[in-house]
Amino acid sequence: MEQTVTSPTGERAARPPSALSIRGLTKRYADGTLALEDLDLEIPAGSFFGLLGPNGAGKTTLIGAVCNLIRLSGGEISVFGQPGNGMAARRMIGIAEQEPNLDKFLTVYETLLYHGGYYGMDGQEASERAEQMIDAFDLRAKRDVEAPKLSGGMRRRLLLARALLHRPRLVILDEPTAGVDLELRHELWTYIRGLHQQGTTILLTTHYLEEAEALCDEIALISDGHIVARDTAEGLKRTHGADSLEQVYLKTVAGGRIAMDKLEEVE
Amino acid sequence: MNPLPPVEVEPHPWRGLAWLTRRECHRVLKLWKQTILAPVISSLLFIVVFGLSLGNSISEVNGFDYSVFIVPGLIAMAMAQSAYSNNSSTIFQARNDRYLDDILSAPMSARQVHLGYLAGGAMRSLIIGVVLTALALPLTGAPLERPFELIVAVFLTVAGFGALGIIVGIYAQSWDNQSFINNIVILPLIFLGGVFYSVNRLGSPWEQISHLNPLFYVVEAMRYGFLGAADVSPWLSLGVVGAITVALLAWAQFLFSTGHRLKP
Repeated sequence: MEQTVTSPTGERAARPPSALSIRGLTKRYADGTLALEDLDLEIPAGSFFGLLGPNGAGKTTLIGAVCNLIRLSGGEISVFGQPGNGMAARRMIGIAEQEPNLDKFLTVYETLLYHGGYYGMDGQEASERAEQMIDAFDLRAKRDVEAPKLSGGMRRRLLLARALLHRPRLVILDEPTAGVDLELRHELWTYIRGLHQQGTTILLTTHYLEEAEALCDEIALISDGHIVARDTAEGLKRTHGADSLEQVYLKTVAGGRIAMDKLEEVE
Repeated sequence: MNPLPPVEVEPHPWRGLAWLTRRECHRVLKLWKQTILAPVISSLLFIVVFGLSLGNSISEVNGFDYSVFIVPGLIAMAMAQSAYSNNSSTIFQARNDRYLDDILSAPMSARQVHLGYLAGGAMRSLIIGVVLTALALPLTGAPLERPFELIVAVFLTVAGFGALGIIVGIYAQSWDNQSFINNIVILPLIFLGGVFYSVNRLGSPWEQISHLNPLFYVVEAMRYGFLGAADVSPWLSLGVVGAITVALLAWAQFLFSTGHRLKP
């Protein structure tokens, strides 16, 4: 499903499909809460994309929709040109959720091994890959420890290792550095940067604005289920006449607008 | 940490099911004292206490020693309960701790996920059934007259109660919900379904009322398989159990296919 673009000379050339294409995405929960409303979002292949917004803005709902974890009320999703609810799309996505959701009956190695199996790897391939990820994320000493016995930082490493085990082309990281110490945060940044440099598309949500500014090519701000701004960090600052991404954030997102008004009143 | 590059994976379409099945069996075997040993011991205690001890003071039932008569119903009860409780607890735990997301976001169809979860309860139930049969038959002298009918009855019982466990595990809001169904619905209905007595010996209207109990047909189907005799036709028993099993499997499949109660 390649798109065509017309060059200035009039030639039509094939353009690779976006890593993630969302059209008219709407999600209304059973209690009537409208979490996302007619949301459009296009994330180019190979980009490092940040999604920022306050709690309840719709970030996790959007991620859940992309990863087949919520039922859509409307709209369409495609991943590298494949329908979002299809097997091909699911195979290309890796997700590290915000809250550690690890199988309590499995050790570190088994967690990775079974995950590889769920994504279609055979035993040998899944085992080799699990061992690679254990080394890559410095989990060797905890290889045979069950998930509930791991520290918070180790669980976070395991979540990331699991998300990346099946070699996804689109990696979704939902606040991957929340609650981790500074050392691990920088270690994870380095790893994620390296992953991006090798061609993986990254969708990152975070509350750390400096993290988004340091890592992301492009940033979208989401508020009340809508994308309210989207550009590079510099572009956002320029457009909103702000000195920092924090000011942009406060000016654009719904809760933040109130905070900015109050800040200006005080000043 | 050294990043590893993305690579296209071309998986076998049914491999995910095989791994989910393996994971469910892994859980059963890891918790074997709780999942297998405990139900085997409690069923054996029933056979020893009710059959071998009290059985001496009870005359034959439908031409069989009492200890022989109760064996099929007790095996049916143990298998049905283990298939149910295994699947309800594994699904509820996976929902509660949210590691079910790892399954739901994986490239597995709803049917594969359903079958994978059914497999764990089926394996646990079959191990319990085989162990109990191997111990109870020499102990009591119970026969195994109709193996084909018994296999069909076992298959339907395991699938039906496994599907019921999945449904309850998906709807349950707490651990209490699933144990409530087991203790307040399944266990009493099985006891009242003629595990320890012949329903034909009950007077009217209790005999007729017992025929409205779906668990009565589970016990009767298994009893026919072991003893070659039962209170009702084996085809009626297998037909009722089969119809209930199909309905429960369809309900569980609906939940996986639509994501109802599994996904917000």
